[in-house]
Amino acid sequence: MVSISLRNVCLDYPLYGAYDFSLKRRLLSHLIREPGEMRTIRAVDDVTIEAEPGARIGLAGPNGSGKSTLLRLIAGVYPPSSGHLEVRGNIVPLLGLNAGVNLDFVAEDNIALLLRIGGRKPTRSVIDEIWAFTELETRMQRLPLRMFSSGMLMRVLFATATAFPADILLLDEWLSVVDEHFAEKAERRLQNLVSQAAIVIIASHDQPLLRRTCTSIINLDHGRIASTMTVEPPATQTFELREKRA
Amino acid sequence: MHHSQETLQETLHEIPHRPSVLHIFKIYYPDLFGGTLTVIRDICAGLKDAFASAVLVCSQSAKPRELVVNDVPVERVRSFGNLLSLPAAPTYPWRLWRKIAEHDLLALHAPFPLADLVFALGFGAKRPLVVHWHADIVTHAGLRWFIEPLMRRTLRRAKAIIVSDHVLVETTPLLREFDDKCHVVPFGIDTSGYDWPKIEPHHVNDRGRLVLACGRLVPYKGFDVLIRAAVNRKFEVWIIGEGTERPRLEQMIRELGLTDRVRLLGSVSDSERIKLMCLSDVFVMPSVTNAETFGLVQLEAMAAGRPVVNTALDTAVPRVARHGMEAITVPPGDAEKLGEAIDALIGDPERRRRMGLSARTRALTRYSATAFREGMETVYRNAVTAPCRESATAAEPPQATSWPDSVRIAAALAWSDMRHRYVRSLLGPFWMSLQMAIVVVVLGSVIGQMSNADILSRLPMLALSMTAWTFLNSVVLDATTALQNSASLIRDRALPPVIFLLQCTFRQGLFALHNACVPLLLWLVLSHHDLSHALPALPGLLLFVACTFALGLVLGAMATRYRDLKPIIESTLMLAFLASPVIWSAEMINHRATVMRLNPLTHLFAVWREPLAGGHVDPTSLVYVLVTLGLLIFASMLTLVHLRKAAFWI
Repeated sequence: MVSISLRNVCLDYPLYGAYDFSLKRRLLSHLIREPGEMRTIRAVDDVTIEAEPGARIGLAGPNGSGKSTLLRLIAGVYPPSSGHLEVRGNIVPLLGLNAGVNLDFVAEDNIALLLRIGGRKPTRSVIDEIWAFTELETRMQRLPLRMFSSGMLMRVLFATATAFPADILLLDEWLSVVDEHFAEKAERRLQNLVSQAAIVIIASHDQPLLRRTCTSIINLDHGRIASTMTVEPPATQTFELREKRA
Repeated sequence: MHHSQETLQETLHEIPHRPSVLHIFKIYYPDLFGGTLTVIRDICAGLKDAFASAVLVCSQSAKPRELVVNDVPVERVRSFGNLLSLPAAPTYPWRLWRKIAEHDLLALHAPFPLADLVFALGFGAKRPLVVHWHADIVTHAGLRWFIEPLMRRTLRRAKAIIVSDHVLVETTPLLREFDDKCHVVPFGIDTSGYDWPKIEPHHVNDRGRLVLACGRLVPYKGFDVLIRAAVNRKFEVWIIGEGTERPRLEQMIRELGLTDRVRLLGSVSDSERIKLMCLSDVFVMPSVTNAETFGLVQLEAMAAGRPVVNTALDTAVPRVARHGMEAITVPPGDAEKLGEAIDALIGDPERRRRMGLSARTRALTRYSATAFREGMETVYRNAVTAPCRESATAAEPPQATSWPDSVRIAAALAWSDMRHRYVRSLLGPFWMSLQMAIVVVVLGSVIGQMSNADILSRLPMLALSMTAWTFLNSVVLDATTALQNSASLIRDRALPPVIFLLQCTFRQGLFALHNACVPLLLWLVLSHHDLSHALPALPGLLLFVACTFALGLVLGAMATRYRDLKPIIESTLMLAFLASPVIWSAEMINHRATVMRLNPLTHLFAVWREPLAGGHVDPTSLVYVLVTLGLLIFASMLTLVHLRKAAFWI
């Protein structure tokens, strides 16, 4: 059973200044008995979220409200300072698209490496399928990524990252630098992926996107849950928005 | 049908399955008497209908290994004395691990770092754990940095933490982190032994000058303060208890000339102690550090209707018997104030009577044995009945990546790194091999000039040593920057940081294979092809690689946390290289040189070079390397624990 359960989870993010990275200074402060207290900031404050299969949760809030940190906390990047965190199911965190990309390599090799990092076996057919989605010319597969424009790069990375369905999908603000046509296609694929994943958590500033995709939206402010609202899925509204975009 | 169901239910009722609880502590009856032990004993006795208890402790007396105390089976692990207030029982962690499987619930009586070690390493994760927090570590506070992470891990995995008073949660930073797990269950006391009528005749003693104190004779109990308080006063002091401080206290009593008024009674039986409590006029608890968290004896004195003088510690002590109501509270360690407070009570029988009465009432109502038993039973039951959910939490670090996966990803990354070299140049890593070949040739000719030995025959070994050294050196240096270089993969794809330290070893391993062409070619050209020594060298080579990996792991993590370590590591490695016989051969220098013999690198090379050259490994080298590896493995374990926080450092 796939589930996410956060109960009163807090995360104190240690703020390492230049001096805090120095062992010499730390030892010295021990010797002269000056316990330099570690400065921390409460990046996630008493957050309780229970997600069952089928949950699509949107995280909204201003910059620095703890959206990304919360996603990383769920992904297991940061250990919680207190509270209870339990995640079951395989997590695919897509928080930054260009993690692990090597611009010197040809596109094909990059795709293969990214798939391996995600724990998948890169077979010929999988890579071809991904390439078909990018709608780029086949011969570009053999070009180093350095030669790609940022939009083209985004297409490749997006196509690779979303090639496989996941139990739990964590997405961070990332549907930006592509052109109109691909954006729509990407969103359809995202919707498709979201419909396959058991639990999806999306952090975004794009309120309409959240409304279209999510069943509930959590507003974060200074690491706290400011408000939670449930989104009723009215089919008409979805249409309306689609039409506006087109 | 109906009938059979009934019998089934009956049989079920007849043999109720009592979940078994394993109490884990450092010492137990009959080796010692004291507050914590009383609590364990009371829990075992109080919950005997609901839980089957067992106790695992250490003991300095070898026999018997197993005994029964108050119907409770006690297993005692041999300890060889005390080291830093801890029993030196090397086999305890192992015994504990064996016993964990036999029980449904583990009750750890903290602090007991020896058991924390077992839980911190993740053993027994399937059994629910309840921690009784008796006290914080006060003595040997210098070891905190080492002990605290262990205790934190134990507490994190605990189902519940039981404290005697909420003030402990407020004043202990470590407990505050786990506020939500803490349950306050005040100790209780079975007051039936302190029957009111029996006490009545002595209730207010005419002589009115008997002061009683009780506890192990250990420094934190502050009996020395009490003895000093008795100087130039009239009251008599009787101290019940035994312990290591006894000679010092006796000497103090003699020197202060108090032999006629201050007596150390030694250990006495329970009934005797109750009698003494009822006889006394004032009960004193002069404890001086926060190691005294509750003071069960003052509760006993309260049950006996005695007024109490206690100390203003940050623990439950001044809250069990409150200043002005059941007690007079004085600053800890202040003999003058303590003496004054005792005198004030001695001189005022009416106040003594009043305080004694309210003390008795408070003990009866607030700290009843029934409430204690019920509180404990609730916590234990909840811990046992919800174990399945907890086991998922125990597997908590929600990393989707298991060990084999990590290795696979690290290998893929390393392979891609190596291919990257070929992308940029046709020769790829062979450029480095070429460079090394030049170094070997130059070094070889220089060494040939310095010694008159046959240099050509030594060249293959020199090249091989250089390959191995380059491997070790680059793994460690690579590791110091590996995590920072892979920050985005760690933070955005949630890959475990250890992958990137593994990647360093794999990558440099691949490069070392390239470099190995140089010694291989030299060997093919220069020596008679005798492969018989290659096999015996293999185990040594494996040791070498294992040490290299562990060293890279530990130093890599540390250098990421503390950035100023990298230059230190670099220069230390260079020094170690120069002070080792990697390029010099044994004959060229006096190989008894102390620096060289102390240098781990010397032995790390010796374990595979000697057999390869057809010699035998010096046992000292082997022991040296194995000990180094053991230490490194231990350090790696700690590092793996701390690597959870690596995302904060990059």
